[in-house]
Amino acid sequence: MDSITRRRFIGAGGALGMTTLLGACASPGWNGSGDVITMWNNLSDARQNDYFRRHFAEGYHGNYPVQFSPKADSTIDRLIQTALAAGSGPTIIVTPGPSSFVSSYWQAGYLADLGPYAEHYGWREKFAPWALAASEVDGTLVTLPASYETMVFYSNPATLEKLGLEEPTTREEFEAFCAEAHGKGYVPLAAGNADYKGANEWFVGLALNHGAGPEAVYSALSGETKWTDPIFIEAIDRMASYFRRGWFGGGVGLYFTNNFPTVYQQLASGKAAGMLSGTWDFPNLAAYFGKEAGNDATWQWATVPSLGDHVPAIVWDLAIGQSAGVNTNFPSTGAAVDYLNFFTTDLGNIIRSIEEMNFAPPPVHMAASDFSARADPRIVKLYSVLSAAKSIGYTTWTFFPQQTETYMIDYFENVITDRLSAQDYCEGIQSRFARESSEGRVPAAPRPGGLS
Amino acid sequence: MTVSRTTLPRRPPRRSSPPPPDSPPSNRVRALRRLRDRKVSGWLFLLPLVLFNLFVILIPSAYSVWYSFTDWTGISDRANFVGLENYRNLLDDPEFVQGLIHNVLWTLFFLVVPMTMGLFGAYALSRVSRFRLLFRTLYFIPYIVASVVNASIWRSILDPQQGFGDLLRINPLGDPEIALWSVEFVNNWAWWGFLVVVFLAAMQGVSPSLYEAATMDGASATRQFFSVTLPAIRPTFAFLGLMTIIWSFLAFDYVYILTQGGPAGSTDLLSTVAYRNAFSNLQGGYASATGIVMALISGAAVTGYLIVRRAREWET
Repeated sequence: MDSITRRRFIGAGGALGMTTLLGACASPGWNGSGDVITMWNNLSDARQNDYFRRHFAEGYHGNYPVQFSPKADSTIDRLIQTALAAGSGPTIIVTPGPSSFVSSYWQAGYLADLGPYAEHYGWREKFAPWALAASEVDGTLVTLPASYETMVFYSNPATLEKLGLEEPTTREEFEAFCAEAHGKGYVPLAAGNADYKGANEWFVGLALNHGAGPEAVYSALSGETKWTDPIFIEAIDRMASYFRRGWFGGGVGLYFTNNFPTVYQQLASGKAAGMLSGTWDFPNLAAYFGKEAGNDATWQWATVPSLGDHVPAIVWDLAIGQSAGVNTNFPSTGAAVDYLNFFTTDLGNIIRSIEEMNFAPPPVHMAASDFSARADPRIVKLYSVLSAAKSIGYTTWTFFPQQTETYMIDYFENVITDRLSAQDYCEGIQSRFARESSEGRVPAAPRPGGLS
Repeated sequence: MTVSRTTLPRRPPRRSSPPPPDSPPSNRVRALRRLRDRKVSGWLFLLPLVLFNLFVILIPSAYSVWYSFTDWTGISDRANFVGLENYRNLLDDPEFVQGLIHNVLWTLFFLVVPMTMGLFGAYALSRVSRFRLLFRTLYFIPYIVASVVNASIWRSILDPQQGFGDLLRINPLGDPEIALWSVEFVNNWAWWGFLVVVFLAAMQGVSPSLYEAATMDGASATRQFFSVTLPAIRPTFAFLGLMTIIWSFLAFDYVYILTQGGPAGSTDLLSTVAYRNAFSNLQGGYASATGIVMALISGAAVTGYLIVRRAREWET
């Protein structure tokens, strides 16, 4: 065998180095292949991931196989953004609702126009109209709503019985409920944002939709009034005062350090009298209640009480929890759209996933008769009622533009810690909203009561 | 089986015909000579590293500088030149100013607390002969454990309802008045052991004869520390001080894991502000400007250190 000369060694080393560098700099393409539809999703645990893989990835039998890659809640958006900027990314691009990043992705050319496929797949008939309207940017359908949700009032019936309380329906009842529970040493409402700072916006949304009312919110969203209107300032101030009284999480400081397991545990163990959260918690509660948790605790839900004067008793805060679009870099947009259609509209699969995993479904038309006898009646009731809902509210992660939403999340903490007045907070919302509105970044919102 | 080197067939010496006495050396020979030249071959060996550096550090850094003058979103390939607008906006941005103040507080804390603990820890360790390796290992372990693990453990320890916080009736991570100090405490817990090990290594390089002379002169252990140890390890001390300033302006992980900059922005650093602007607000150009300011501050610290080092003629 020939010995390796120094020249050859240097040459080979240089070539290897260059190859490595160029390889590293080259576009990684489609995570290895252009003939696989890739899907990144952020589900809660391994059980949900496994179910999703079996039924929503391997369960699809189109022209391309689907490869599912689970991602953490806290990182999925960053991972997708970085991958897109590098010319790669998953075939199906998901975002936490139409407010979050959709218009930026569209303007950067990463999302395919889904409009031409709407008629072929009959999306106008399948989806709730408000959800499709909110999925448009500049009149172009760029994503499909992959899950929808609303805010509800959770309670543990045993705790309510012990306290002699009932779910509140009005502001007076709500305040009496919290004061009574607090006075007896209970946490009135289990809450915490240690795991997810975005939880702040749930309560801002409640203040706006249930404190100021959906008519006022719609008016400001459409630019007719401003967010500095006294009705909003009052609603935010009132919500902040509830926090400062220790009604949420047991105190402002505890709210910042309670993580989700603590929150659910407080409700299940009877330490908390209630919980204001979204229907996305349906699958999460199973681990803390009943057989799976080794106890006989149960939970129930009710509509969020009205928190303001002249606000309807029932308001359904509409939210698209996840939006999904198609990456323009994928070689076959049609094939990717076909999978997207399966993912969001295959009713059999969707109903089964609700029954077996409590997954939040896309806003497709569902009736109680679509469910089998094994379905959880609490969940059947929700989606049956929600499908027929008329009185609607507007969640920040569905109907507000990106930077306004981020501000609402971050600075609400300053309001509840008394570092920022409600008025200044609302002025901050207004200045950001006005700028983003002029840039056309506000998703379309249906009129209050305009769902029929 | 061993074979004597002398039994191995020797390779015949390479024969090369020397160039004719009066003719100039050929191109090939000149190239070979250049290759054998130490400088050229040195550069050749450095080439892969230089290329790597170019692609991984220099080019992205140049892009960052460019983007800081644009309205780049961070995801798009479009970026419009906006001049100094991003830098002007930084000065009016309360989040940036707050982050900068927190960074300065963070730096001061890390220049004082862990440096002092590290120095005294190392000095104490240098005076013991038994179990030194064990102590050194114990001090070093938190440094090599992933920050996410350290932070998660401390989050449980400091929990106000079932941990240390409950015992002391405080909420270290939920109270905006003390949250920054609490995060610094956790980060310091993982950091100071590293300083102990580095200072100890420097102290072991101090000539024992200096201590013997000081002992003969009747100097106490404290006096020996201030008059012998400290001057002898001054270059290491200064270098770690410099690195502390640089690392303090790059701090991110513990804050992000423990508090995400909250509550109410009370633990926000420049890095978390930049991160939020880049990934939540999609203001890549603005976040780049924040990063450039952070780099300039670090650059100023390095320059200051180099000036002092040259003036004092330190060797390291």
